[in-house]
Amino acid sequence: MLSVENLKVVYRGVILALDGVSLEVGAKEAVALLGPNGAGKSSLVRAVAGLLPKFEGRVLDGHIRFLGQDTTHLDPVRLSRMGLTAVLEGRPLFRYLTPVENLVAAGHRLSPKELKEGMEEVFARFPRLYERRHEQAGYLSGGEQQMLLLGMALLTRPKLLVVDEPSLGLAPKLVEEVMAILDALRREKGLSLLLVEQNARAALNIVDRVYVLERGRVVFEGDARAAKEDQDVMEFYLGKEEVGFRQARRYRRRKRWV
Amino acid sequence: MSDLLPYLIGGLANGALYGLLALGFVLVYRATSVVNFAIGEFLLVGAYLTYTFALFLPLGLAILAALPFAFLFGVLVERGFVRPLLGRNVVAVIMATIGLAAALDGAVQLLWGPDLKYLSGSLPDLGFHAGEVFVSSRAVWNLLLALPLGLGLLWLLRRSKYGVLVRAISEREVAALALGIPTARVLAGVWGVSALLATLAGALLAVASGVGHNLVFFGMKVFPVAILGGLDSVGGALLAGFLLGVLEALSQRYLEPLLPGFTEALPFLVVLLVLLVRPYGLLGERQIERV
Repeated sequence: MLSVENLKVVYRGVILALDGVSLEVGAKEAVALLGPNGAGKSSLVRAVAGLLPKFEGRVLDGHIRFLGQDTTHLDPVRLSRMGLTAVLEGRPLFRYLTPVENLVAAGHRLSPKELKEGMEEVFARFPRLYERRHEQAGYLSGGEQQMLLLGMALLTRPKLLVVDEPSLGLAPKLVEEVMAILDALRREKGLSLLLVEQNARAALNIVDRVYVLERGRVVFEGDARAAKEDQDVMEFYLGKEEVGFRQARRYRRRKRWV
Repeated sequence: MSDLLPYLIGGLANGALYGLLALGFVLVYRATSVVNFAIGEFLLVGAYLTYTFALFLPLGLAILAALPFAFLFGVLVERGFVRPLLGRNVVAVIMATIGLAAALDGAVQLLWGPDLKYLSGSLPDLGFHAGEVFVSSRAVWNLLLALPLGLGLLWLLRRSKYGVLVRAISEREVAALALGIPTARVLAGVWGVSALLATLAGALLAVASGVGHNLVFFGMKVFPVAILGGLDSVGGALLAGFLLGVLEALSQRYLEPLLPGFTEALPFLVVLLVLLVRPYGLLGERQIERV
């Protein structure tokens, strides 16, 4: 479905954000991309979605293929038409529009009938959104906004959904809920999912495979179960509270050899 | 009272044109955050387009024929001047529109010459007497065209899918792109509509006062009107247009004998006063601040 080969991304010609990243997302597969702040996760999302130029970035080297076609330099509108939808980080909805209008914007390619059916489906799935459908989206709660974003993503009729940090700024319980929704959506619609997260614990529960990114390079790849059992990944991404300060330091020392 | 009414009607007629022009100006500002300093020249180009078509068509048809060309003109300006600069420094974009204004001024003089021209033919006479007051054909035409068009556009912006897309893009272009919304095409359309509105205003103005470089000064009034209505409020632009038109008429009637030339300065004074009380303009909205 999606394959990224040896991707190098640079911002403003000097800041190297991705340094030779390769990854694959298969059909109907859910893949997590984990990593700390500044690892290059969002750069990968932007590159895949064709949005790098909007951030003064560009692909220096490497290739991105989607559905077998080279999409490295394709524009976002064409990519969206092909079935790739990216939900960027920071809840990119339209705050001055109502949920209904947000959904209309997302489903702009659908016929009026399809749009109506799609909206009914979204509202049936998220009754809370229906109750607040005529309020400004900027005033919805964080969880509701995230649901609206997922609803909007659905109306673009994606084959591959790339979601950047859906857990950001949400309470732990809501994070679980959002992950459960993502998982359910993916299975029902038969989508491929690339889930970009810092919250590894939440992400690993719903994906098949995982990549860990650090300073623009992939430092770990494997299936989700292996990641859960991998000491390094566990220690560094799955709970510092269980590691303690001293062990964390030891881990850092060990990591230099990774 | 009866000697005031003709002034008021004249004010509304002028205000309708201010409103139309400001509507296009605000539409562009809202969608692309570009302050189009060439809006007066858009009006000028529109008037000359109408003049050209009126050479071989009846005036009504000439105006209609000019509109699609005006739309195309707006789209071309967006493609050629604005899009390459979007996302750059605001000052760069402002300088570009000022440069565009100068270039258009020159081009218009080269193509059509510097002398004042009058449109051949006229629109059907719709003037009528309401009691003692005569409502001029010009007032009827201005209101007849500007009001439905302005209100229709407002409705489109609020209710239609295209309107939703324009508002979405104006808020977050990158998010719109990520949803596959063809932002470039939608924004080009907005510039097209802006040029179309300016052309209609220019044509109606030309019917009354001929086509010449002085039309640009009428175009300059768009700034106080738009600021008064609230730069981000399309409805406010229309309202402020009428308001300023009427205020000017009142000033013409009562203040001009005492303070000759005062009316010219009035719009700017009103803006100053209103901004002191409402910094966002009459109908402008406070932005939700990002925290």
